[in-house]
Amino acid sequence: MSLTKDRFGGVLFLLLSLSYGYFAADIPLLPGDIYEPFHAQTLPYWLSGLGIILSLLLIVAKAEDESQNAPLLRSNVLLMIGLLALTLLFSVLLPWLGFPITTSLFLIGSYRILGERRIKMLLGASVPFALIFWLLLTQVLDVYIAPARLIFW
Amino acid sequence: MLDGMFSGLATALMPFNLLMVVAGCFAGTFIGMLPGLGPISAVALMIPITYTLDPSSGIILMAGVYYGAVFGGSTSSILINAPGCASTLVTTFDGYPLAQKNQAGKALALAAYASFTGGTIGAIILIFTAPALASVSLSFQSADYFALMLLGLTSVAAFSGKGQVIKAMMMTVFGLMIATVGNDVITGAPRYTFGALDLVDGVSFLLLAMATFALAEVMMTIMRGEMHGSKQAMQPVALSTMKLTRSEVKEVAPTIARSSVFGFIVGVLPGAGATIASFLAYGLERNIAPPRLRKMFGKGALRGLAAPESANNAASTGSFVPLLTLGIPGSGTTAIMLGALIAYGIQPGPRLYLDHPDVFWSVIISMYFGNMVLLILNLPLIPYISRLLAIPPQILNPLIIFFSIIGVYLVSFNTFDIQMMVFITLMAVGLKLLNFPMAPMLLGFILGGMMEKNLSRALVVSDGSFDFLWHRPITLGIVCTTVLILVLPLVLGWAKKRIVTYLPAAD
Repeated sequence: MSLTKDRFGGVLFLLLSLSYGYFAADIPLLPGDIYEPFHAQTLPYWLSGLGIILSLLLIVAKAEDESQNAPLLRSNVLLMIGLLALTLLFSVLLPWLGFPITTSLFLIGSYRILGERRIKMLLGASVPFALIFWLLLTQVLDVYIAPARLIFW
Repeated sequence: MLDGMFSGLATALMPFNLLMVVAGCFAGTFIGMLPGLGPISAVALMIPITYTLDPSSGIILMAGVYYGAVFGGSTSSILINAPGCASTLVTTFDGYPLAQKNQAGKALALAAYASFTGGTIGAIILIFTAPALASVSLSFQSADYFALMLLGLTSVAAFSGKGQVIKAMMMTVFGLMIATVGNDVITGAPRYTFGALDLVDGVSFLLLAMATFALAEVMMTIMRGEMHGSKQAMQPVALSTMKLTRSEVKEVAPTIARSSVFGFIVGVLPGAGATIASFLAYGLERNIAPPRLRKMFGKGALRGLAAPESANNAASTGSFVPLLTLGIPGSGTTAIMLGALIAYGIQPGPRLYLDHPDVFWSVIISMYFGNMVLLILNLPLIPYISRLLAIPPQILNPLIIFFSIIGVYLVSFNTFDIQMMVFITLMAVGLKLLNFPMAPMLLGFILGGMMEKNLSRALVVSDGSFDFLWHRPITLGIVCTTVLILVLPLVLGWAKKRIVTYLPAAD
């Protein structure tokens, strides 16, 4: 039995279902709940059981032809990881640097990661966009956006 | 019924709502044209905007985006042989060959007329069937609702295609698992929060929809390297004339009529959706076409373009029937709309027809307006809208990422949500690489809370016994349908095999 994509997915889901079922025991119950036909732990236990059955079915099922997916380039995977890391950085910096600066930096960084090198384009498609969007939110739509903690200490 | 209809008409005719239809159709057309981003992503991207609108306007905007995205998908299928979504894949079979024959304008016009007719016929049938179904479902009890939700979840999984049924069921279970995170809806007990206060309210629907559809789709586009090769492909071919001759209209008219009714019926089945409708309508037309015309299929046959186009639009309309009358979405896109309605405090289902007739009817009526907008405004503007595709992908993709994350942030103003989004996107990308479908997960997540509540009530009433599943004829009927739908993929698999043998080489 070779480890196909489906089987790998099945094993992962099996582990998830087992841990989900294990942590279901941690759900606190109200006094007397245990005698009720349905309580806070009931559905999690059922779902865990169903998940285990389905993953085992996928693991033992006949492997499908997997030639349909083109192999991914390592450089493209790194691009994706870079963008997601930048998104995380955006969430961390947003309260400290404020909306316009963080957004501008995020956009410049993502354009650059995806291959844009022209300085005019990098700045032109980020700073004015961030400022206009910020003004639109705060002045037109009246959305409150907290000021930067670092600047307005 | 007439009072509600007029109230809906008045709501739909409000200048602001008309503007929403037009804006939705335009935005949807543009997003739908981008390869990889389909109606689900387009509607998901609109959710943060709709939160600032009243329910009718919000849903009207989403319906406009839905139609626009389906139409946009057809446009990119015809012009650059890159379907924006799965439901317009069949459009490439005959649409792109027509464009290569320097008849792109004609192909686009035919696609628009077929979509318009499909949508119109669908909307007319919907006007009559939806209230009737809503009246019947007023007598539903908890047990029936539970059975209906089971039917919805099962059918979405069952129609997922060959080799995908188990995976779709697993994803449904996964969605139900995610729905249990946070305080229990009945007792308030914290579940799977691991002491984190940010998880007490559970995972937000918007966050999950944006991460799994908008953000994950962009990441997949980047990972597949489509953004590098697409620049050249984005250069659309010349449009030429958009006029159809009388004989051509005569040739496609019966096809459009047949495919519209057929598409609507397939669309009503929960989970079947526009993709299956377009494939089946294409196969049906090819099989009943005279041998002379059959040879043309795959080489630019007008019937081959008209059939899937009218069927997928009628199916999109049909998928609103289970959403509006039973509260069960018929497709991934309507699942997102269901989540948005719930966020508004409106529970779709039989009561929607009585409690919010303005929402119910304005959605139905605005569907028709949406089709008109696509025909009157979008079609002549296609050459200009398609120029937007010239925005370099290295600029466009970061903007889509930005709108996705900021849309979620502006609802909660909590940066933890952005971090959670990154985590869910990574997970979604991994699942997509393993060929797991995402729509069943979202459906499971949305229906999870309601399903648990109804199951709990039904079990308490029946004192812990499962006899509530066959106690009432309606419940028994729904349970039997669920079983039937589980068997149906076997039959469909057989039918698909027959269609595939006739289809042209996927070139």
